[in-house]
Amino acid sequence: MSEIVEKLQGHLKSDFLEVTLQRERRIFARVGAGSFREAVRYAILELGFGHLSTITGIDLGGEVELLYHLAYKNATALSLSVRVPKGEALLPTISDIMPNAAIYEREVHDLLGVRFEGLQDTSPLLLPDGWPEGVYPLRKEQTYGDLHEIKLRRG
Amino acid sequence: MGYSSTIKVPFGPQHPALKEPEHFLFEVDGDTVVNVTPRIGYVHRGMEKAFELGTYSHDLYLAERVCGICTIAHTTSYTQVVEERMGVEIPPRARYIRTLIAELERLQSHSLWVGIVAHEAGFDTLFMYVWRDREVVMNLFEELTGGRVLHAINTLGGVRRDIAPEAVTRIRAGMDYFENRTKEYLRVIRTEKTFLKRTSGVGILKPRDATGLGAVGPTLRGSGIRNDVRVDDPYIAYDEIPFNTVTSDGCDVLGRTVVRAEEMLESIGIIRYALDHMPGGAIRVRPPRSAPPGESLSRVEAPRGELVHYVRSNGTAKPERYKVRAPTLANIPSLCKTLIGIHVADIPVILAGIDPCFACMDRMLIVDRNTMEKRYLER
Repeated sequence: MSEIVEKLQGHLKSDFLEVTLQRERRIFARVGAGSFREAVRYAILELGFGHLSTITGIDLGGEVELLYHLAYKNATALSLSVRVPKGEALLPTISDIMPNAAIYEREVHDLLGVRFEGLQDTSPLLLPDGWPEGVYPLRKEQTYGDLHEIKLRRG
Repeated sequence: MGYSSTIKVPFGPQHPALKEPEHFLFEVDGDTVVNVTPRIGYVHRGMEKAFELGTYSHDLYLAERVCGICTIAHTTSYTQVVEERMGVEIPPRARYIRTLIAELERLQSHSLWVGIVAHEAGFDTLFMYVWRDREVVMNLFEELTGGRVLHAINTLGGVRRDIAPEAVTRIRAGMDYFENRTKEYLRVIRTEKTFLKRTSGVGILKPRDATGLGAVGPTLRGSGIRNDVRVDDPYIAYDEIPFNTVTSDGCDVLGRTVVRAEEMLESIGIIRYALDHMPGGAIRVRPPRSAPPGESLSRVEAPRGELVHYVRSNGTAKPERYKVRAPTLANIPSLCKTLIGIHVADIPVILAGIDPCFACMDRMLIVDRNTMEKRYLER
C-alpha cells in the first residue's frame, strides 16, 4: 500500500494533498482539482486499479467533494477525492478512460448538480421526468420537507 | 420495398418478465435488438438522504430495508463500516454467526434466482421444485432470526441472537437435504436440452467487456474472471474459512446459472465449516452512540456481486453522508452490452441473467408516503 502512495506522490507532486492509510487495503487520498483527471488516469491505466466501484458525492457546504472509489485486484480500495466549489461544480469526465463511470457521473449530476465536461449522455439517471430544474436532492439545503412538497406538487 | 426503420419496443416498468419496475427501450430491426436505453429510478425511496436524518442505530433498520433478498449483505456492510468508524471490534462468535447467516442468504437468493431463470426460459417445473426446496432455507431463517425475509439479526456490535444447539442440528439436516437437491438441479441445468437451448450461447459477455464495463459478482465470474470480494478483500470470518471461487468459461446465461448453482454448494460447505469451528463466547459488545470524524469504505460480496457502503462521520451520532452502491447498478453497463444484437425472445432470459435487484439499485430520492406493512401470522 505504501508503494502505491509513493508512486502517486511521485507522479502528482504538489497536487497530492493528503493521504490516510485508514486500515489494511484502504487508502484515502485527496488531490487538487487541476490534476485530478491525471490522478485517476494514472491510477487506472498505470497503477492497475482496473475497477471503478462507484463515485460518491458529498455536499460540504461551500464545496462538493467527489470520491472516486477504485479497486486494485479486487482487494485494495483507493478512494481519490477532489473538491470543487458548489457554485461552479464542474469536473472533466473520466468515462473515456473507464466506460462505466458514465452512470455514476450521471447519478452525481442528478443528485448534487455536478457537471461533467465531456460526458456523452447527460440525461437524468434517477430523477423522474418533470423534476424541477436546479433542485438537487442530496444537497444539504434541500430539506426533506422541501423535497416532499415537490413530490406532492407534481401529483 | 426498401424502407428500413427500427421499431422501438418499450419494456417495463410493468412487464411479466421483470420482478421489479425498470424501463428498457429496445430498438429492434426485424428480430434483432440494435440498441437499448435503460431508464432506472422507479423504486427510488430517498434512502441516502434518509440515512443523514437518523442516528447510526436508527439507520441500521433503514440499511436492512434497502433490499429484501440481500438484506443480510446490506446489514453486514452497514455494521462493518459503522463499527470501523466507531472503533468497535465484534466478538469472534459474532463473526462466525454473521458469516453463517450471510451464506444462508446466498443460498436463499441463488435458489430464488435459479427458479426465476428457469421460469424465464419456460421451464416452470424446475422453478416450482427449486422454490419448494428453498423453503428449507426460509424455515431455517425463521427459526434462527424470527423472520423469513427481514431478519434483524445483525446489529452494531455483533449479532442479536445466538444459535441454539437444537438449531444447529436442524441446520445440518437442512444443509444435507439442500445439498442433495442442489446437485440434482445442477444435473438438470447441465443436461436438460430445452434449458440448454435457451441459455447456452445466449447473452455472451466477453471477459474483456466484463472487466472493462465494471461487471461484478456471478455475472463477472460467469465470464471466467476469478473475482470474489470474500476471497480478495476478506471480511467477517471469510479469512478463516476455506472455500473455492466458482467461475465458468461459458460467458453466457448458462455459465452464470452454473456459477450460481455451484456457489450454492460452496455456501453449504462454508456453513458446515462455520458450525464445526464456531467459537464460544459473547455475541455482541455495546457500541458507542457516536462515531469520531472520519470516513470508511466497506465492500461485501452480496449474492449479486460487490456491494459498497461508504460513510463519512462528523463526530455526532448521525452520519454526514452515507452512500450505497448496489451490485445491480454496476452490472447495468455490461447488461446493455449483452443486449445488443440478440433476438427479442432472448430479452427476458438475459435480463434475468444478471439477477437484477432494482430495489437495491435505486434507493435515492423521495420516500413514498405509502409504507407497506407486512404482518406475519403467529403459528
